Amino acid sequence: MNTKREIVRTQDVKKTYVMGDETVHALSGISLTIDAGEYISIMGPSGSGKSTFFNMVGGLDKPTSGEVYIDEVDIAQLDTYELAWLRCRKIGYIFQTFNLIPVMTALENVTLPMVFAGTDPDEAREKGANLLSLVSLGERLNHKPAQMSGGQQQRVAIARSLANDPAIILADEPTGNLDLKTGRDVIELLTKLKEERGVTIITATHDMKMLDVSDRVVWITDGKISKIQHRDEIDIQVGTINGMEEA
Amino acid sequence: MNHANKRIFDDSSADARRVVLPWRRTIQMCIANVRHRFGRSTLTFICIAVVVAFFASSMSYQFIIDKAMKSDDVHIQAVLEKAGVFTHDKQSLEKQKDQQIWLMTLSAILCLVGITNTILMSVTERFREIGTLKCLGALNEFVVRLFLIESAFIGVIASIIGGLLGCLLAALQVGAAFEFSLLGGTTFLQSFTASLPKAVGLGTVLTLLASLYPTYIASRMKPVDAMRVEV
Ligand SMILES: Nc1ncnc2c1ncn2[C@@H]1O[C@H](COP(=O)(O)OP(=O)(O)O)[C@@H](O)[C@H]1O
Ligand SMILES: [Mg+2]
Repeated sequence: MNTKREIVRTQDVKKTYVMGDETVHALSGISLTIDAGEYISIMGPSGSGKSTFFNMVGGLDKPTSGEVYIDEVDIAQLDTYELAWLRCRKIGYIFQTFNLIPVMTALENVTLPMVFAGTDPDEAREKGANLLSLVSLGERLNHKPAQMSGGQQQRVAIARSLANDPAIILADEPTGNLDLKTGRDVIELLTKLKEERGVTIITATHDMKMLDVSDRVVWITDGKISKIQHRDEIDIQVGTINGMEEA
Repeated sequence: MNHANKRIFDDSSADARRVVLPWRRTIQMCIANVRHRFGRSTLTFICIAVVVAFFASSMSYQFIIDKAMKSDDVHIQAVLEKAGVFTHDKQSLEKQKDQQIWLMTLSAILCLVGITNTILMSVTERFREIGTLKCLGALNEFVVRLFLIESAFIGVIASIIGGLLGCLLAALQVGAAFEFSLLGGTTFLQSFTASLPKAVGLGTVLTLLASLYPTYIASRMKPVDAMRVEV
């Protein structure tokens, strides 16, 4: 499959926050095209605008100027219902803080997006159980988030993000609250999803472990893209990167 | 041109592009929340129960006395006579009633403010959860429904408990002021059936009123809130 299909395109996206007399330029003109099935890592120091960019791409916030196209549709043109539908069916979100609903079991958390999508309850339960097996939590369908470790909670969140077979998974620092090993497991899982299901994965991170699995790495500094590296360019540098991780 | 490329959006008609939250699921989610957050809603619960108990007890008390006054039972008439019920002039009775209505209104308002405040606190506490629901596709109206029904549940349960306590209190009051024989026959039971429904209705309406503003705030919370890492 050599035919590339564009799935996300941002055009000179800017975002400024005004707080009193102060204006913060969180994003100062980001133009980026992402192909379907790509694994993209957005790298950058904390405060560089990664989360802000994510909110724009995920349709959670509107840019001050510029456009975001998802599958060639300018999402600023969508009404409330279409936007909700997009969030429900086409984008899966994974958060740094896991964000499971505390009163719900793992299975209920995973099936919730299917409820919103109008899936038949029995079908949803079966699919939810399958997704939980996929993330190796098939034995914990009825556990509440509080009864699970951080890594397990994040795996439930990954299963939940897959509920409605989204085309895009947006993961904002998915390993930020996890230790090294569980972080690796999560990255491995994301890679597997990309390879087996062809999901487009966009992660924001300052976790160097993400580098060697990404197709492209987009470096952001001060709200601007400072460089974009392809996989082959990254491989050359692996030595230094590992060096950085050990440092 | 734009039309030809609408891939994500083309696989279904606009109608099929609606997100839904079935009633069954809504109720289940509300029950789960009420059960798991019971400790958090204790203050709301007590507020409603006390006001409803107050309301139910004065209504129930009035009902028992009114019924006794209409009774042809010689003994009951004698008891009332001895307590001086018939010699009370109409004016002072009216005045007493007015005072009670005032007191009741005042406590209802205080209770309203108190409940609004506690629910508002629980809403701000749950910003991440609400933001997450919206990231998963929930509409504002889902959030409205979830919060109102949750409040209604708390309102109904607290009102029933408060109402029952109020009616029992009224019976004890009658016993203390007159004689328990006034509650004879079906009167005791009737005092419950006469005032409980109204008291529960009042308590539920009060709770729903108090939760209107917090619910509005909750429904307006933005999905980006789910992303916030601080706090
Ligand atoms: N809601 C907000 N209000 C004001 N400033 C914000 C808000 N969100 C982010 N910022 C600012 O925008 C910049 C980029 O933030 P963010 O996108 O969260 O960075 P990152 O995710 O890369 O750490 C920071 O300077 C931050 O303080
Ligand atoms: Mg961030």
